[in-house]
Amino acid sequence: MSFFGFEQNNDLENEKRRFLEGGLSGAKQEDVAVYTWGEESYDGLGDALQEGGDELNDETFGAAEDIGKDFDFSGTALPEHQRAAPHQPAQPPERGSSQQQTSQTSQRASHLEPSHSSQLDAIWGNKSPFSVLPRSNGSSRTVDQLATQSPKYTHKPSSLNLGPDLHKGVHTLEEIEKEMLAAAAAQQRRQQQQVDEHSVQQELQEMQLQEHMLHQQHQLATPGLLQSPTRAHAQRPPAAAAAAVGIQNTATPPPRMHPHSQSPRFHQQQQQHQIHLLQMQQQQQQQQRQLLELQEQRERQQRQQLLQLQEQLKLEELERQQQLRLQQQQLQEQQYIQNHLLHQRGISPALSDLHHRGMSPAMGERARRVGRQSPAIMSPQGTLDVPFAQNMQYLPQNIQMQQRLLAEMAQAEFLSTMQGPGHSERDLREARELQEMLRVEAMRKIMEAERMEEKRKRKLDKIAHMSRYNDLMTQSDKDFITRIQVSQLVTQDPYADDFYAQVYGAILRSRMGIATSEDRVLRFGSGGGVGLGLAQKVHGRRQGAMQRMEAQVERIVNNARLREKEKTSLNNLQGALGRTSGRSYKAAPRQLLQVDTSNVSTSPTTSHATAAHISKADSTKQEGEGAAREAAKMGREALATATEGLVRKDPLTHREALVKLEHLYDLVLDVEQRRRDQPPLEEVEEFEHWTVECNAIIDQIFDELMVSVPLETSHPHPFVSLITPIKGKKLLPRVARIFELQRMQVLLTLIVACFLQLDVVRQAPLLDSLEETREVKDLEVQTQAFQNSVVQSILPVIAKAQMRLVIGLFGILLDECTVHSIAMTRVSRTPGIALLTLFLSRVEVLRHNVATGSEVEELPTAEEMQRWHMMYNLLFDMIRPNLQLLFPSVRLALQANTSFVNIPNADVIDQPVWQFLATLAVHANEEQQQALVGGLREIVLENVATATKGWGNDSEERRRLRLANVNIFLHALGLDSSQITL
Amino acid sequence: MDASHSGIQEPFDLIRLSLSERVFVKLRGDRELTGVLHAYDGHMNLILSDVEETIMIVDHVDGAPEGHATVNVAKRKMEMLFVRGDGVILVSPPSRT
Repeated sequence: MSFFGFEQNNDLENEKRRFLEGGLSGAKQEDVAVYTWGEESYDGLGDALQEGGDELNDETFGAAEDIGKDFDFSGTALPEHQRAAPHQPAQPPERGSSQQQTSQTSQRASHLEPSHSSQLDAIWGNKSPFSVLPRSNGSSRTVDQLATQSPKYTHKPSSLNLGPDLHKGVHTLEEIEKEMLAAAAAQQRRQQQQVDEHSVQQELQEMQLQEHMLHQQHQLATPGLLQSPTRAHAQRPPAAAAAAVGIQNTATPPPRMHPHSQSPRFHQQQQQHQIHLLQMQQQQQQQQRQLLELQEQRERQQRQQLLQLQEQLKLEELERQQQLRLQQQQLQEQQYIQNHLLHQRGISPALSDLHHRGMSPAMGERARRVGRQSPAIMSPQGTLDVPFAQNMQYLPQNIQMQQRLLAEMAQAEFLSTMQGPGHSERDLREARELQEMLRVEAMRKIMEAERMEEKRKRKLDKIAHMSRYNDLMTQSDKDFITRIQVSQLVTQDPYADDFYAQVYGAILRSRMGIATSEDRVLRFGSGGGVGLGLAQKVHGRRQGAMQRMEAQVERIVNNARLREKEKTSLNNLQGALGRTSGRSYKAAPRQLLQVDTSNVSTSPTTSHATAAHISKADSTKQEGEGAAREAAKMGREALATATEGLVRKDPLTHREALVKLEHLYDLVLDVEQRRRDQPPLEEVEEFEHWTVECNAIIDQIFDELMVSVPLETSHPHPFVSLITPIKGKKLLPRVARIFELQRMQVLLTLIVACFLQLDVVRQAPLLDSLEETREVKDLEVQTQAFQNSVVQSILPVIAKAQMRLVIGLFGILLDECTVHSIAMTRVSRTPGIALLTLFLSRVEVLRHNVATGSEVEELPTAEEMQRWHMMYNLLFDMIRPNLQLLFPSVRLALQANTSFVNIPNADVIDQPVWQFLATLAVHANEEQQQALVGGLREIVLENVATATKGWGNDSEERRRLRLANVNIFLHALGLDSSQITL
Repeated sequence: MDASHSGIQEPFDLIRLSLSERVFVKLRGDRELTGVLHAYDGHMNLILSDVEETIMIVDHVDGAPEGHATVNVAKRKMEMLFVRGDGVILVSPPSRT
């Protein structure tokens, strides 16, 4: 019937076929359900679709002969047909179980299904030569378990199987009647055995479970063979069929995922899931059933038998009437039943089924188990021509449905108990309570199971979905990709390429107190390696991954080296005729820009700031100009040397300074790298070599910093030009680390000597502005950098300086100030104040050392101290007139015509000045101290007042800072702000 | 000072000189930037800090004769900016006055 699904294909072939098929099949097309293969919601049941209903083909195509099923390899349909095979009278218990199975199926599917498994129909419907084969007890029971407990695997019942009806003509009516009577008699006999059977059955259930498990295991071993028809006809067809369906049900696999092509691991996984599922369901349902059964069994066996007999007789009567189709009256009666059924179906298929038979569900179930129903019961249902689609609607597609049915059964049972005759009021109530309790319990369990089932199902779905692509890649595929990825990470200099992570990691480690000096770098013999980035918390798995990667990288590198060796050796040319291709152009695409690095004739960094010359013509022209200038300069220099004994030069341009700085940075980085690669002291020769190299570079740095160039060479001094850009300032701390003290002292002297040339000093007055222009902001940034870099790097030098040096430097600074009147205003700005503070505090420390007698060496001589006092007095006299103007806030306030208190952030910018004044006060004599206090009284008072009384809306933080500032100064004088009364 | 000493061998070496300096960057779409250059790469992707972006917006007034469009200038400032290299037309040190 599947070809009806492709109606859209309106090709001629289809048209023709449909025409040939005529009206009957044409009419059927209307009722065919729409299948949704391949869609998301597709539950895979299509795979389990039983291609039943082929019996109609005889009618449709006019084939009169019995074809048999020799070529029916679909397999799934076969077991049921077989199980319903003859020999019923000989094997009553077996048939009972087979009937139980089919009736259970029909209960879930539809009660209207024509049960070909009933004896008569089975005889007629059975066309297979294999049907005569005997069946083992165990296998059929296993099917029962499977079929009842895993609705997922129950294939769609053959609702289209109308076979029995078509063959009615074969037997005479007398024969039919005879058969039926015999069957009824046999049933009655069997009913007597029923009690025994029940006890046996419960024992058997446990055995069944074990058997079932065995079968499942067997399936594991031979999954591929299960669908073959010969197997199916052998002793374990039902389990095989169920398993086969189960496999098909697990979504449509991608081509490679077909059971045969799957890796055994995957297959086993699937099977295990199924088994697990089955077991769970088994447990649940057995519990349910036993509960219901046990309590019903005892009290109602007699009544059941009676009822059943009556029912059977009635229905047999009906059946006979129907099959004969003689009288109108009987037809009407049948119609009444139909209506009744249709009405009942509205409630639930299970219930209506039970009501129709007029017995309690438990009884019904048991009855089905033992198989006491006569075929007559089923037949009328079969003849009802309800649309098939309606039947399918009730197909149990998942466990939920089945469980709901169970719940309904329990309810129905409860109702029937209520109506049960012959019970006293008390019994009834007790029974009701018991029932209620059981029902609630059952419901709860069912709900729980449903939830769990839902959850597990979702999980399974997800796993199944993901596992679609399991093993799509082979191990070598994965290796290949890893190789590509890893090859991107390998570099010649793993440390430098991972520099920031390495340095940051080192800082982190030192902060955490973990002393591991080694770099987190994987190195290979050839110098290549991989930076490992930050050290992370190493878990077991990650560690393993790292080791794996290490091994893999090692292998890749070695392979590459081998290949390289092979290429260079002449061996690979052996047997190669003609030309051998060298490098592949794909591997190394032609470069767009081919810059000759070895022979660069241009000098873009000549004094005139021009861009680099790329074209040859341009460069020659420039070269000419440059040469002319160079000649002029050289002449001038020669002249200068002749007259003054020193070389006068143009100051470095900004550009030159930048170029030099870049080179300096290169050198500094080189030294830093070398210091990291310091060879161990034991390897004397290597260590010496290393030391020499390092010193050579450091010398070069010192030279290029132009520190030792005479002061008069240019204005500003080349060194000053170098530290004008912000990166020049930031270079100093790094240089300071690699220079020894003596060089740093030279550097310090130079800075002091050229102090007024420094950009931050020259432009310092610009800062006295509240305007937020680009220049001011840039200058602020520069000043900040100067304080943090330059001052910080010379601070340790000053801290170690002897009196002589300090006095000398102080003298240089003051000389400048006395020579240039404007100088003082510049020096008294932030950078100058900082430098002065450093000198003053150093002298204070030295004086303290004299007093305590520590640091016996290099004690300042009396003469030096005298000179110091002279200079100090000079400084004090210069500062004295404008004490208040030292404060940036005051200067700003003057410009803005407001009080210095209103200047935002005044306390922060004033702090260095307070510190300076404190050091100044320490050195001051009494008269100078009074002058200081007199000059600063206003500001001190103002600050203390605003800080203590909380004028203005300053924050607590600011007031504390303000008070602290004032106290720095007052403490130096031996006072405290608390002594000031306002 | 010869070139090998200066270490300038390719155009990007010139941009290297401007590292941590203020630069002027002209971009496609009538945009200009000034900011401190912190990093660049071969695609001319740039990282700038303290950036001021100037956007020229040419408004064509309806009915106005050809070439009589008004130019509006919009400016904005950013702390830190990543500039994608495909928009960069030129990078230069700012003109010094």
